[in-house]
Amino acid sequence: MKVLYELSGIKHKYNGRLVLDIPRLVIEEGDIVGLVGPNGSGKSTLLRILAFLEAPSEGTLHFNGMPVGSEGEPPRRDATLLLQDSFLLKRSVFDNVIYGLKVRREKSLRKKAFEALKMVGLPPEEFAHRPWYALSGGEAQRVALAARLVLRPKVLLLDEPTANVDEASAILIKEAVLRAVKEWKTTVVVATHDLLWLYEVAKSVLNLYQGRIAAHGTSNLISGPWRPINDGLWERALPDGQRILAVSPSSETATAILDPSDIVIATSPPAKVSAQNILSGRVTQMLLDNSGERVAVAISLGGVSLRSTITPKAVKELSIQPGQRVWVLFKATALRWL
Amino acid sequence: MDYILEGLINGIVLLVSGDEETYSAISTTLKVSTMSIIASLIIGIPIGFVLGYFDFPGKRTLRTISDTLLAMPTVIVGLLVYAFISRRGPLGSLGLLFTLPGIAVGQTILALPVVVSLTAGAVEGLDRQLKLTLLTLGARGRQLAISSLWEGRYAVLLAAATAYGRVISEVGASMMLGGNIKWHTRTMTTAISLETAKGEFDMGIALGLVLMLLAFAVNAALSAFKKRAAQ
Repeated sequence: MKVLYELSGIKHKYNGRLVLDIPRLVIEEGDIVGLVGPNGSGKSTLLRILAFLEAPSEGTLHFNGMPVGSEGEPPRRDATLLLQDSFLLKRSVFDNVIYGLKVRREKSLRKKAFEALKMVGLPPEEFAHRPWYALSGGEAQRVALAARLVLRPKVLLLDEPTANVDEASAILIKEAVLRAVKEWKTTVVVATHDLLWLYEVAKSVLNLYQGRIAAHGTSNLISGPWRPINDGLWERALPDGQRILAVSPSSETATAILDPSDIVIATSPPAKVSAQNILSGRVTQMLLDNSGERVAVAISLGGVSLRSTITPKAVKELSIQPGQRVWVLFKATALRWL
Repeated sequence: MDYILEGLINGIVLLVSGDEETYSAISTTLKVSTMSIIASLIIGIPIGFVLGYFDFPGKRTLRTISDTLLAMPTVIVGLLVYAFISRRGPLGSLGLLFTLPGIAVGQTILALPVVVSLTAGAVEGLDRQLKLTLLTLGARGRQLAISSLWEGRYAVLLAAATAYGRVISEVGASMMLGGNIKWHTRTMTTAISLETAKGEFDMGIALGLVLMLLAFAVNAALSAFKKRAAQ
């Protein structure tokens, strides 16, 4: 696959405060990359840099093999960003959708706009002439997405596309995005807290934490307070009285990352295992990922949710299902400190 | 009380019968206010946009000056413009004194701070996401500026309506620069002022009714623009 973005030594600061620090990141053409992480982890900042709306404070950004920012206009018309709040221009739905085409002086505006509206599940005859204020939150977000899709963008960047929309809209947004990837080889980068939605869309996931790529995949983040117990072991008490054990955190408030594939699931209390963390919980969600090779299992442990990934075969053998009581096992050393 | 009621009835009769002198003042007012509002919008909107959209040294000072000029007394504007366009003034050769363009110059100066300040405020008040949205949809340079102004169009119309309200209701500058010449530079406000001083209420009331009607129309427009600007 052709490399589309290449970021090297990117650092970005707001008022002297470092908000993004990415030593290296490569995104290939046609990829669907998910960005996850808590609020303030740098997801939106990274999207704005990828959309060429902000230039990084330090480092180099290559797009399509060309350095960006050294001279000339950034290739802003190749990448388009869908903002988190479905911001629409104060004009009709049709005029919103064709805006990007008009500034590019393109033709066949009506045909293209109607196609884009259909793509996001909005019947053009019904919606095209509606004013911007006569739309629900989900409809407005889909109109905003149609205004991007009509451009047949090389890169589509989505910032929390499903944050303020209903379930039906989230499904329509997913289908439209996947169609863009399939039909036009659009590269998609999407920042979201909606992990289930992301799991169905993304080919790869980056976990951002405090501006850094903490892990690849939808890793679990476990934050303090940690309390020392003995032999270098520390514990993090859970609301239901259980505890997570870890080895030598950097501070009492340190955050650990736990890879979902390091978590083993058992359907009965295990005996004689070397793992120091054996916790009981309930399965809350199960979802087959985009590749069809892994199943994400979300388990609630007295208020804390952990994600494990297992194979469809393991799901069948364990015959687990949502609501079922299970035990999760992982080593204290499996927790890596951020 | 009777003479007020009588004045009101006679005023309505003047309007209904199409009294030439009354309609001359109405026509003069509409002509001169149209000239001044067009001039103030052509000059004021670009200045207001620059003040609201860009950040540059001295921007705050310019905004403060513009805001202060909002309260400038009409007679001061009349005095200043009179000094410039009177025969002895630097622009005396243009022969603007006691003409409609002369009044329009004064009214333009009165309306300009309203247009500049309210346009700048409207542009400053545009959603922060607007610029990002326009950029990410591919707008560049002039497209960005025009689209931003278009997004604030209701707020700019609000500025225009407010400025028009100030222009049609002022009397000081029109009196000083127009000279209140019958059939020529007599506007509604200067006519009301003169007729009242003469103790003739009929025409004053007739013109007052038209002025109130105009003020009502301007207010209705303001209200509609405010509603749209907030959506």
